[in-house]
Amino acid sequence: MVGMSMQPYGIQSMLKEGYRHLSGLDEAVIKNIEACKELSTITRTSLGPNGMNKMVINHLDKLFVTSDAGTIVNELEIQHPAAKLLVLAAKAQQEEIGDGANLVISFAGELLQNAEELIRMGLHPSEIISGYTKAINKTVEILEQLVESGSQTMDVRNKDEVISRMRAAVASKQFGQEEIICSLVADACIQVCPKNPTNFNVDNVRVAKLLGGGLHNSCIVRGMVMKSDAVGSIKRMEKAKVAVFAGGVDTNATETKGTVLIHSAEQLENYAKTEEAKVEELIKAVAESGAKVIVSGGSIGEMALHFCERYKIMVLKISSKFELRRFCRTAGAVAHLKLSRPSPDDLGYVDSISVEEIGGVTVTIARNEEGGNSISTVVLRGSTDSILDDLERAVDDGVNTYKAMCRDSRIVPGAAATEIELAQRLKEYANAEIGLDKYAISKYAESFEFVPKTLADNSGLNAMEIIAALYTGHGSGNAKLGIDLEEGACKDVSETKVWDLFATKLFALKYASDAACTVLRVDQIIMAKPAGGPRRDAAAAAGAGAEED
Amino acid sequence: MSVRVLNPNAEVLNKSAALHMTINAAKGLQDVLKSNLGPKGTIKMLVGGSGDIKLTKDGNTLLKEMQIQNPTAIMIARTAVAQDDISGDGTTSTVIFIGELMKQSERCIDEGMHPRVLVDGFEIAKRATLQFLENFKTPVVMGDEADKEILKMVARTTLRTKLYEGLADQLTDIVVNSVLCIRKPEEAIDLFMVEIMHMRHNFDVDTRLVEGLVLDHGSRHPDMKRRAENCHILTCNVSLEYEKSEINAGFFYSNAEQREAMVTAERRSVDERVKKIIELKKKVCGDNDNFVIINQKGIDPPSLDLLAREGIVALRRAKRRNMERLVLACGGEAVNSVDDLTPESLGWAGLVYEHVLGEEKYTFVEQVRNPNSCTILIKGPNDHTIAQIKDAVRDGLRSVKNTIEDECVVLGAGAFEVAARQHLINEVKKTVQGRAQLGVEAFANALLVVPKTLAENAGLDTQDVIISLTSEHDKGNVVGLNLQDGEPIDPQLAGIFDNYSVKRQLINAGPVIASQLLLVDEVIRAGRNMRKPTA
Repeated sequence: MVGMSMQPYGIQSMLKEGYRHLSGLDEAVIKNIEACKELSTITRTSLGPNGMNKMVINHLDKLFVTSDAGTIVNELEIQHPAAKLLVLAAKAQQEEIGDGANLVISFAGELLQNAEELIRMGLHPSEIISGYTKAINKTVEILEQLVESGSQTMDVRNKDEVISRMRAAVASKQFGQEEIICSLVADACIQVCPKNPTNFNVDNVRVAKLLGGGLHNSCIVRGMVMKSDAVGSIKRMEKAKVAVFAGGVDTNATETKGTVLIHSAEQLENYAKTEEAKVEELIKAVAESGAKVIVSGGSIGEMALHFCERYKIMVLKISSKFELRRFCRTAGAVAHLKLSRPSPDDLGYVDSISVEEIGGVTVTIARNEEGGNSISTVVLRGSTDSILDDLERAVDDGVNTYKAMCRDSRIVPGAAATEIELAQRLKEYANAEIGLDKYAISKYAESFEFVPKTLADNSGLNAMEIIAALYTGHGSGNAKLGIDLEEGACKDVSETKVWDLFATKLFALKYASDAACTVLRVDQIIMAKPAGGPRRDAAAAAGAGAEED
Repeated sequence: MSVRVLNPNAEVLNKSAALHMTINAAKGLQDVLKSNLGPKGTIKMLVGGSGDIKLTKDGNTLLKEMQIQNPTAIMIARTAVAQDDISGDGTTSTVIFIGELMKQSERCIDEGMHPRVLVDGFEIAKRATLQFLENFKTPVVMGDEADKEILKMVARTTLRTKLYEGLADQLTDIVVNSVLCIRKPEEAIDLFMVEIMHMRHNFDVDTRLVEGLVLDHGSRHPDMKRRAENCHILTCNVSLEYEKSEINAGFFYSNAEQREAMVTAERRSVDERVKKIIELKKKVCGDNDNFVIINQKGIDPPSLDLLAREGIVALRRAKRRNMERLVLACGGEAVNSVDDLTPESLGWAGLVYEHVLGEEKYTFVEQVRNPNSCTILIKGPNDHTIAQIKDAVRDGLRSVKNTIEDECVVLGAGAFEVAARQHLINEVKKTVQGRAQLGVEAFANALLVVPKTLAENAGLDTQDVIISLTSEHDKGNVVGLNLQDGEPIDPQLAGIFDNYSVKRQLINAGPVIASQLLLVDEVIRAGRNMRKPTA
């Protein structure tokens, strides 16, 4: 009872043990900025076509080798709350557009780094926020002016136009192989593009990864590729009608538990016979309807299989509900719940369905060249799992870009041309501004420089020279001057044909500024005691040990 | 203490030590929440045990999440939460007002005053202030046609303290329109009739008001339409799935035909119900019409299949509260049995469509005829933004509702507090006899904490602001504080209005709790240390 008169004062004494409370500029704002900077330095080196790959080993000991920022930050399991805000922004970008996550994190990191300088200069975070907000509004305005004229409309079925818009996105993941991948992705996307392109569904382009071979062996299958074998002994069928049963191919069972009532041995024998007859009747009905392939979503009874073989019907099992739906779309079939005689309208059709062996993996390929098919599959070949995973991410980015261009086909110059132009025009805007916002806006403009700087750095070029050359070019009115990374010089992007989608850029910049402003707005952090304390410490210790190895 | 009366582990604080502990706790809590107040307040980041992030400016949310341990602080926090329950706003003000009352009292007590005298003064001052509030309030007429402008101003004032300006202004319209939408003459407003739905999508400024309903699930059959126009809507609570009997029943059969018969028999009753619905559909639907079933109970795959073949869109397992809202939004009535289906029990919506976001499905029921229920669809790129907007929207709705029910508003921006203080000092104090005067004075000064904190958060000089405000009030001008430049402004012209009920509750509750705390002279906690709970 000694220290009673000296009650501790302040918030810390009021919280539960284990809670932490951080407040004020130095403790909260600057610390937050530092954490975000750390994060963006990690992702920054992966920006652009010459970006470096990261090797990330996640908590399940799975290895990722990638330069895709979305994957990196996902697997990193960021703990710091402020850095997590950036991660969330990147995830939002990934969900919304599917590309440009790196730009979000790196740009937000850059903005915060510049904000720190402003804070050290003596500006209040709220002034920086208002400046940044003005800047992003102006940026959006300028960005709209930079849209390449004539790009508002495009033919989403023209492969060349599609590739020109997709190339930059794919190249940033797989530089040097973008031509092959773009052509594959463009073909696949155009094939499944519905009448109204805005309804394009990313899910309709599937990716099948098969180990072995090389990227050059990759191809497009108009239909589906399933990594499974046919159930029966019939492995191949051409120009066949398909019946799809979602509930399984077997005898019908009641929901309530049923018991077979048998009084004598004779009855037992009869029961088995009636059962057999029933199944045969059902399978026969299916066969008579013209179906040559049965696809089942559930189990396939031994007896049913026997009769299928007898009636020369190929049997496939697809246990995933979604996969089954996709198959229905491929074949144009309507799934029946129970085994029954399908009506002719419900039957689907495939040109060929066959079991093949590619690189040691047994796959079933269903092809449907006719119209009405809405699924296409990109078969990727590669030598290792991680290469395949990385290729898949590049394909995903390509498909997402296709989706984005179906909605908004406008493009802006890529290869840092847009960024420099934005920086230049924003600086002019900042100079015209009066009041403290001016500083924040001009810092915002400066932040754009990190894009050409990083692109050049990652390619081993002299960043300062490049930026200077770009500014000179843009100053003399060439708004499309970008970096040609292969030659290490500045070139007009209409020659190098590096275009970025307007939507990707817009969303990325907006999300980045939003995240940066949110981080700046926080001046107090109250952290609860992490749940399950000791376990986490043990994991961290183990993690630290692993790093040393 | 020569004789131990208490459990040896018990902790006792007495006399001034107890008083100082309570005062310190109140001041500590005030310090935490102070920076939240007003449109220029800053955001707090709360990190949960599992690393989840919450960003908030709302005092109520903060108090709930902080898990305060100190007994005094808990008492204050409870008052603040009560404030939120009653009026939906003003939690931060309550906490800092109580803190400031304690601070002012501390000074007096240190000078040798007895807490009891102070408490008497508080009581007199409280009554006088409440009376003053009655004269000070600005009445608004809320007839059949509500004055939208006033409502907007009140909503804006509330929302701007929770969100940044641009978003707040946008939400103002949404909030006011949604309350007016569900408002029925002669009936109390039930804010539950405004559904708040969120989608992780686009930007926070894409938040909008849907005149109709948004359900957070979709149809469960791949062949059902994703988009249907001119829809008849059947709202029902009928089980369309086979339900096992309560008693333990079983079937006995001795050959496959018998079993098949059982299978069909089992489904017959469900199928009949589905057929009745299909009949109704055929009766009401022309070529261009569509039929939508929204069922509170389940619909099993075979039934879905039957419905899908008829081109009916069916949604199962809708939330109970949505059934109520659906009827209000689309008309018709909720049916509990398919036996008495009539075309009159159907509702109508111009457009029903499904929106898929990753794994989540949303069904929009829009273009309804006379909506008496609506949905505020909150969008935002991540969960913490959505949570922030959601809290703000809730407060905004409450403020509009309060205004309609109070039929009056109070000038904001600190104008009321300054005016009340002048009234107390210049008029009331003189009528009080004896030392209670000091209590009145302490109360009056404590009121100033609101404009003071507003100024502080905006980075202005507190003293300058208070002096310029009081001098304007002395001249007889009712002015508030302009947070942009620190000059006095007329809140009426700037459109800054607070809720009457919020202020009333604040003045009622604050002094009561402060008085209680002041009259504590002993704190006993049995068995455990007050500061460090034994681990």
